[in-house]
Amino acid sequence: MGKEIERAGFPVVVMCNLIDVAKTVGSNRMVQTVSVPYPLGDPDMSPEDDWALRKHRVEVALNSLATEVDEPTVFPTKI
Amino acid sequence: MTKKAIHYINQFFGQVGGEEAADSKPIFHSELVGCSNMLNQMMPDVEVTHTIVCGDNYVTNHTDVALEEILGWLEKQEFDLFFAGPAFMAGRYGVGCGLVCKAVKERFDVPVITSMNEENPGVEQFKTEAYVFQGGRKATFMKDDMEKMAAFAQKIVKGEDLKPAAEEGYFPRGVRFEIPHPEGTMAADRVIDMLVKKLNGEKFLSELVIPKMDKIPPAPAVKDLSKMKIALVSSSGVVPVENPDRIQSASATKWGKYDISKLDKLPQGVFKTIHAGFDPAAMCAVPDRGIPVDAMRFWEKEGKFGKLHDYFYVTVGTGTTQAYAAKFGREIAADLKEAGVDAVVLTST
Amino acid sequence: MRLEMGNFHVKDIVFGDTLSYSNGVLTVNKEELLNYVKEEEPGIITADLRIVRPGDKVRLCPVKEAIEMRCKVSGKSTGIFPGVTSPMAQAGDGRTHALKGCSLIVVGEHMGGFQDGVIDMAGKYQDNTIFGDMVNLVFVADTNEDFERFEQQKKNKALRWGGMKLAEYIGQCVKDLEPEDMEVFDLPPVTERSAEVNALPGVVYVLQPQTQMETMGYNTLIYGWDGNHMLPTFMHPNELLDGCMVSGSFMPTSSKISTYEFAVNPMVKKLMEQHGKTINFLGVIMSTLNVKMNEKDRCAKMLALMASNLGAVGAVVAEEGYGNPDVDYTAALVELEKIGIKTVGISDEATGRDGGSQPLVSMNPMTDALVSTGNVSQLYELEPMEVIGELEALARDGNSGGWEGSIHEDGSVTMENNGMFCCNHISGFSKKTCADF
Repeated sequence: MGKEIERAGFPVVVMCNLIDVAKTVGSNRMVQTVSVPYPLGDPDMSPEDDWALRKHRVEVALNSLATEVDEPTVFPTKI
Repeated sequence: MTKKAIHYINQFFGQVGGEEAADSKPIFHSELVGCSNMLNQMMPDVEVTHTIVCGDNYVTNHTDVALEEILGWLEKQEFDLFFAGPAFMAGRYGVGCGLVCKAVKERFDVPVITSMNEENPGVEQFKTEAYVFQGGRKATFMKDDMEKMAAFAQKIVKGEDLKPAAEEGYFPRGVRFEIPHPEGTMAADRVIDMLVKKLNGEKFLSELVIPKMDKIPPAPAVKDLSKMKIALVSSSGVVPVENPDRIQSASATKWGKYDISKLDKLPQGVFKTIHAGFDPAAMCAVPDRGIPVDAMRFWEKEGKFGKLHDYFYVTVGTGTTQAYAAKFGREIAADLKEAGVDAVVLTST
Repeated sequence: MRLEMGNFHVKDIVFGDTLSYSNGVLTVNKEELLNYVKEEEPGIITADLRIVRPGDKVRLCPVKEAIEMRCKVSGKSTGIFPGVTSPMAQAGDGRTHALKGCSLIVVGEHMGGFQDGVIDMAGKYQDNTIFGDMVNLVFVADTNEDFERFEQQKKNKALRWGGMKLAEYIGQCVKDLEPEDMEVFDLPPVTERSAEVNALPGVVYVLQPQTQMETMGYNTLIYGWDGNHMLPTFMHPNELLDGCMVSGSFMPTSSKISTYEFAVNPMVKKLMEQHGKTINFLGVIMSTLNVKMNEKDRCAKMLALMASNLGAVGAVVAEEGYGNPDVDYTAALVELEKIGIKTVGISDEATGRDGGSQPLVSMNPMTDALVSTGNVSQLYELEPMEVIGELEALARDGNSGGWEGSIHEDGSVTMENNGMFCCNHISGFSKKTCADF
């Protein structure tokens, strides 16, 4: 899905758990998520930490859209 | 009952001429020409009714016009199968056969059968679009190659079970299906056999060969993030609780588009995930964990980017075929273009 | 560790007054068994027993579990499912008696779910599951587990536990009899093997049972412990053959390994058979399937190192599941290959309705030796048959292989492989594969 959107000319950042998979389907900008059932958050965390994690990873994703890449790139996250 | 077929060949085999006639336009013969006769005689249950002859340069250089002419004429014919070639090693002929087969398949949804040598560039380009049989290098293989095509067409019209590509003799079309193991061997025995061979450095055949994937060049980065309109797209299955578009929880054939212009987050109880591939509890409790509307809104208010698009787009990723996923991608891209969106954050599970 | 498996080859099961086994015929007293199981599992409100034989035009749906009927004769464990239906004890030594060529199948009387399945005892799909080719005692029941009655994901606790207890209760009837034949599984500790055996290539069996559910009560159990809470663990193959594993209640059923197959595991048996001939079978690495990427990564790296520390040069990796778990599967194979351990993988594929989807979610060209046991997306057209259970469960209750409209007016069915009970037999029983078309 992301591949076709990117083919249409939009920069796309894929936030997903399975980075390996994202690479094989041709994603170019990627951000690691936590897990499949809860990509951006973690029910084991406090609501504050859950929100901080989501805010942070979305920020990394937004930054990636403004970053030129030559090849499939995983943008590192801190939390 | 006899089924009808139409056969496409190039200017050379259609007896128009050689290279000098390669620009010739399509000619439609109701009396079979050249090798079409041989093909017709090979099939007791299929009657080849017409031969289409077209110049290789014409179909490859003026594809749209050529196909329009051919498809337009075919509209008026009755046929159940379509043949092209064999094209051997002839590159332009192979591509021509491929182009015509693909177009016929798309318009009329009938089985399309052709044949090329493995070195013909038409194979790579069209093997997923048609049954491209593995053919000889040159025209001396005419009879052999056509026999393979004919035998396969016979099987189709008689409704016989079609065997895997390798057994039938065509290039794999990029689709895989389940079959009984040819020798009826239990999987555990197959594992042992493969393992012992691999340990001993002997040759073995993997039952699933991992192919290489195609890549697309990265889209350029956005220039000034603070002015950009960004959309959220997702395969997480997060939808309004009543799932108004009835998107399936697996093997989805639809996507949905939902208004978030008045929302700062996706409230529990208003949105939920319908994704069947995992324990939905954590995402239903905080739907933003699947589609981060709250975090996007936060960064929008901070001025990090210009505007969050008023709608998010969503489907369910699990079991969805690549064909559907690609279709969703194209449809969503068209919608995004119309809405003036600049970039996309796609969350997947 | 030495395990003697005393076999009794069941040709037929009949109802009668006394639970007994004689000359290939297992006789069961319906009333006695139903009273027993209701007493043991008070959650069961209605129950029946049926007997189905290969060739009977009968469809079982929704099937929840299949279990081999056994009893423990001697050894450390007192029961056939230690840590689950009997006190925790080591499985895999002493003697166990088993009723072979038959199984106890658990069927929901009404309600099914995502993880349940279909078995046909006749017709085109009879051979699709091994259970279509054996005589089965079918335990069909309903429970008072109202909290999950309309849930797509069901723990099926009362039914599964009822099934295990019945299997053991029935198995007791051969406890004091002389087995018709005996299999002996005697694999010495890794460091106590002869020079000839040590000269053979060391091989481990890496099993990735389905353990992805983070809510407890759904995953595969190892000695009653939820596999989600495990790291890769080294085990003796006898432990598996003697009932240390109980199948979970999560994952589309065709990719599941039933409790029957965990204990009659043909892959383990074949590896044991080859031990001392072509390989030195070092043992089993029990791994997991996880949802978090860091958990997948941790397990893949740890299991590879464990194999290496054991001196393995070869490994068989089996994945109970498909889709997301393919990531764990490919990662395990790749980590092993990276350190020079030659791998063979066994799993099924999901190529989509049109056959054109990527067969595994995660793929890596380093995995160059894969055995494919079936395709979860394959469409099956089932002829009408008498149903034990409730066919509607396939269409109504969110079964992974059924949908609204799966069941036609005449009782025929269109479904995906996904919903046929354990039919891709990742345990190694599968006689199917996939091919390019």
